[in-house]
Amino acid sequence: MEYDKILTDILGRKDFLVVGKNVIRTDALDKALGRAKYTADIVPKGTTILKVYRSKVAHANIKSIDTSEALKVSGVEAIYTGADVTGNNQIGYALPDQPFLNDKKVHYVGDPIALICAKDEYAAAEAMEKINVDYEELPAHLDIDAALVEGAEDIHDGGNIALVTKIRKGDIEGVFESADAVVEDTYWSPYQDHTYIETEAAYAIPGESKVTVIANGQSPFLCREKVAHVLGWDLNQVQIIQALTGGAFGGKDDQGPLLCAYAAFASLKLGRPVVHIWNREESLAYSNKRFPARIHYKSACTKDGKVTGIEVNITLECGAYANRSPFWLWRQTAHAGGPYDIDNCFIDGQAVYTNKVYGGSYRGFGDLALHFALEQQMDKLADAIDMDPVEFRLKNVLVEGGRTTCDQVLDHSVGIKECLEAVRDASDWTNHREPVWDGPRVRGYGVGLAYHGISTSRSSPDWSAASLLMNQDGSCNYRTGIVEIGQGSPFGHIKIVSEIIGVPPEKIRIDLPDTDSTMNAKPTHGSRGLMLGGTAAAKAALMLRESMVNCAAELFEVDADRIDLRDNKAFDRKNKENVIDIKELAEEMYLRDYNPGAHGYFKAPKRFFDPVTGLGVNYSVYTFAATVAEVEVDTETGETSVIKIWPAMDCGKAIDPQIIEGQIEGAISQGMGLALMENMEINDKGEVINPNFTDYVVPSSLDTPEIDPCIIIEKPYKHSAFGAKGVGEPAIISIVPTITNAIYHATGQRFSTVPIRPWQMHKALKEARK
Amino acid sequence: MKPIPKFQYHSPESLSEALSLLVELENASPVIGGSDLMIAMRNGVIAPSHVVDLNEINELNYIKEEDGVIKIGATATHTQVANNPLVAKVHSLVDSLSRIGSPQIRNRGTITGNICNASPAADAAPPLLVHGTEVEIQGLNGKRVIPISDLFTGPKMNCLETGELLTEIRIPVPPAGAASSYKRIGRRKAFTLSVVSSAAYIQMDGETCTDAKVAFGSVAITPIRVPEAESLLKGSKLDEETVKAASTAVYEAVKPITDVRGTAEYRNDMCPVLMRRAIAQCLERLR
Repeated sequence: MEYDKILTDILGRKDFLVVGKNVIRTDALDKALGRAKYTADIVPKGTTILKVYRSKVAHANIKSIDTSEALKVSGVEAIYTGADVTGNNQIGYALPDQPFLNDKKVHYVGDPIALICAKDEYAAAEAMEKINVDYEELPAHLDIDAALVEGAEDIHDGGNIALVTKIRKGDIEGVFESADAVVEDTYWSPYQDHTYIETEAAYAIPGESKVTVIANGQSPFLCREKVAHVLGWDLNQVQIIQALTGGAFGGKDDQGPLLCAYAAFASLKLGRPVVHIWNREESLAYSNKRFPARIHYKSACTKDGKVTGIEVNITLECGAYANRSPFWLWRQTAHAGGPYDIDNCFIDGQAVYTNKVYGGSYRGFGDLALHFALEQQMDKLADAIDMDPVEFRLKNVLVEGGRTTCDQVLDHSVGIKECLEAVRDASDWTNHREPVWDGPRVRGYGVGLAYHGISTSRSSPDWSAASLLMNQDGSCNYRTGIVEIGQGSPFGHIKIVSEIIGVPPEKIRIDLPDTDSTMNAKPTHGSRGLMLGGTAAAKAALMLRESMVNCAAELFEVDADRIDLRDNKAFDRKNKENVIDIKELAEEMYLRDYNPGAHGYFKAPKRFFDPVTGLGVNYSVYTFAATVAEVEVDTETGETSVIKIWPAMDCGKAIDPQIIEGQIEGAISQGMGLALMENMEINDKGEVINPNFTDYVVPSSLDTPEIDPCIIIEKPYKHSAFGAKGVGEPAIISIVPTITNAIYHATGQRFSTVPIRPWQMHKALKEARK
Repeated sequence: MKPIPKFQYHSPESLSEALSLLVELENASPVIGGSDLMIAMRNGVIAPSHVVDLNEINELNYIKEEDGVIKIGATATHTQVANNPLVAKVHSLVDSLSRIGSPQIRNRGTITGNICNASPAADAAPPLLVHGTEVEIQGLNGKRVIPISDLFTGPKMNCLETGELLTEIRIPVPPAGAASSYKRIGRRKAFTLSVVSSAAYIQMDGETCTDAKVAFGSVAITPIRVPEAESLLKGSKLDEETVKAASTAVYEAVKPITDVRGTAEYRNDMCPVLMRRAIAQCLERLR
């Protein structure tokens, strides 16, 4: 079945009822008024608190851990170390390199060593100071080069290179020699923190051979798996209830399972509920960050503007643990050619451990750093052959039938050319090809493109599930394991459901995900929440629709294909007299043996790649985006302002344009943060020295540029409900290079490192004037 | 980040009561807006046993003009000061206070707190320095009035003795022909500490500058004035050459450091730029 054709082929309609329209989210008012309840809001006063005691040194063997003095502190209820773990003291995501509680070695400043349970924060803080760890310090590697020096002390068994990746497409031999232009540079993309409004939180309640955890995160099922693993239990002994989550951006995909495991473990040991909530300092200093990456590019083109080959070397900095780096690095490797059709691509990647806070999931998942490099390379090539950057890109962009970096043929749903043409026209690009001066200030325009394979990396199998229950009064309960983290995917699901069963969105309640009663939907990451989760929702809705339609047909004594469901009614298309409220229909369904419940399970098409060449079908479909930015640089002070952004995106069918706009506006701010101000400052001991919002600076509303309404190019994907593709990550990927390309246009300065803060811009301009 | 140390809270309703409490109580801190105090307590920099809230003391909340002096009481918030018509003539102070912190900070925080906290980056300091401001300090043993420059003794250090409170800020009403301006650079456009800042005060008689004062933030251990530059500007026509010479004097005089908020080189280079822009805005305001 082609899911993009549900409307015409199954529902038999030409026009949508709710899909594609701006519908006010059912959760909007509660959130705007501060009534929505998050994890911390539901914890009873007096609950035992849990704090993690962490390593104070970057790299050391642990000789001994002494908690005896700390246990004497009044109000301290228990302290647990690795020695207390009876299940599995290992919680690494992709590689078994990350202990649950470190008892042999520490790998970064902040490595968990002990769990302190106390009656309040004062007791916990005092206990913190009385735990004594005897370290045998080892040389700390605080950058990738230090870790790669021959003979450098290993951070983990097996050496400091966690893994390597490779793609060999075409032949690079002679490409650079025969090219009309070759450009080469090394780019650095640093750590970035997620700075979600709500910090990490978990509340655990122990039971008989069972534990319940209420927590924020991005996958209650991964949380369940990790808790069960640490405890050595079966999955059905662990219940995770996903609370509303105040922002996640990938960070809570990685931290959620860890917090759940700490809280669950401690609550079971202690025999009473335990709450574990991080403060901002813990969140900034110890949670995973955007993985830093050093990317070397060599790119070649002909004088008439055809890119002939690229040679790319990616060195990903893992930090203390590999975490998601196999997936992150593979995504960078597989996307290295960008949204362009390039015959010859030689890509090599390596992920390297250092003794710093570890990297992990973050919106854009590797593609942000990758496009920061490749989109500047594209501009440089255009410059080298004296061609307009938009025109140059148009000669190379992927079109239907084109081949990706991995030699995957894209046979449909490819809208990058249209996106680029749309932002070119909207921004009046061709009339803004000269920088414009106003006193010491100069303005310029830049362009950037992005593409992002939707869903998980490394061709891992993908599927999702959802369930839908119709109650006797016609109201519905919808259950999905795709979680609400601000982005609105579950609301997108119920719009899909509403379109299919004719019940308005406000009559379909989204239940909080609960692993005891919700089917495993896989995580809310990889921009898959709407595409995969929404298609499972569509399958459930189609099953329920069948019950509804058949029941109505029996009541009206007509054929089922004459029944339509809309406006909370079922009716006979051929006889307007035959009409019944869904409320009454629901009651009849229970009485007449029509199943009022449905489970939808959706398996995505199979993907594969050749481990030797890296070639294959890496992602089932891609979302494409293009942006143009106008920036202003104050050449005396070095301050950069983003004046305006024109975005366009091919995200397939837009289920809700307003939610897309929300994603794009947030992404612009987050991308701008990385481009111009955000920076984790880490000293020579490996300590984060700015773990606060005084000195970890993110953009304010006044920094936010004017944002033109997003131009949505709808190139439906045939294996997703109504043809929708993901939006959340693709929205951020083009932002950083668009800004840096605009800065170049305005000032003639190229930056291969971000953030570009006023003093760095000033220095560059000062040097250039010399 | 630690839990906020436990303390006892006091809320006197008169100044004399507050002064007594500050002397009688061991390890007591006054508080008004708390926007600096709470952070210092969270960071463990200070742990007062008693906190004396000055917000209920009505006699400290005023903004008035008397004998050619604008008098601002200790508990006047940034918002109150920035929006007060008497203060409108103190241009640089309005520039500064209307952009300090966020709306929430401006509604809670005070100009008194900002200068008593004595950060080299205090946004209220350069405008007050160029306006020849005096501050009134009271203790149980009486009051003293000092120039604001004497208040700052080092980074986050002021000259207040234990038990003393800064009770009033006194700004001479600017004469006709005078204007001032405040320019700052932050790491974003709002709600951030100044990386470097400058205030200028210019009085013109026709084409001639009869008085000039310039001050800078975040470039020394305290907010500072640069008399070498002022004396060059004073008496001149503020022509390009003079401003250039004053810029050089400023460049030589300031001694900034490098930290996470900016480099020494950058701060040094920016002082003349901001001063020139502030002077230019003064002249615009006089037009």
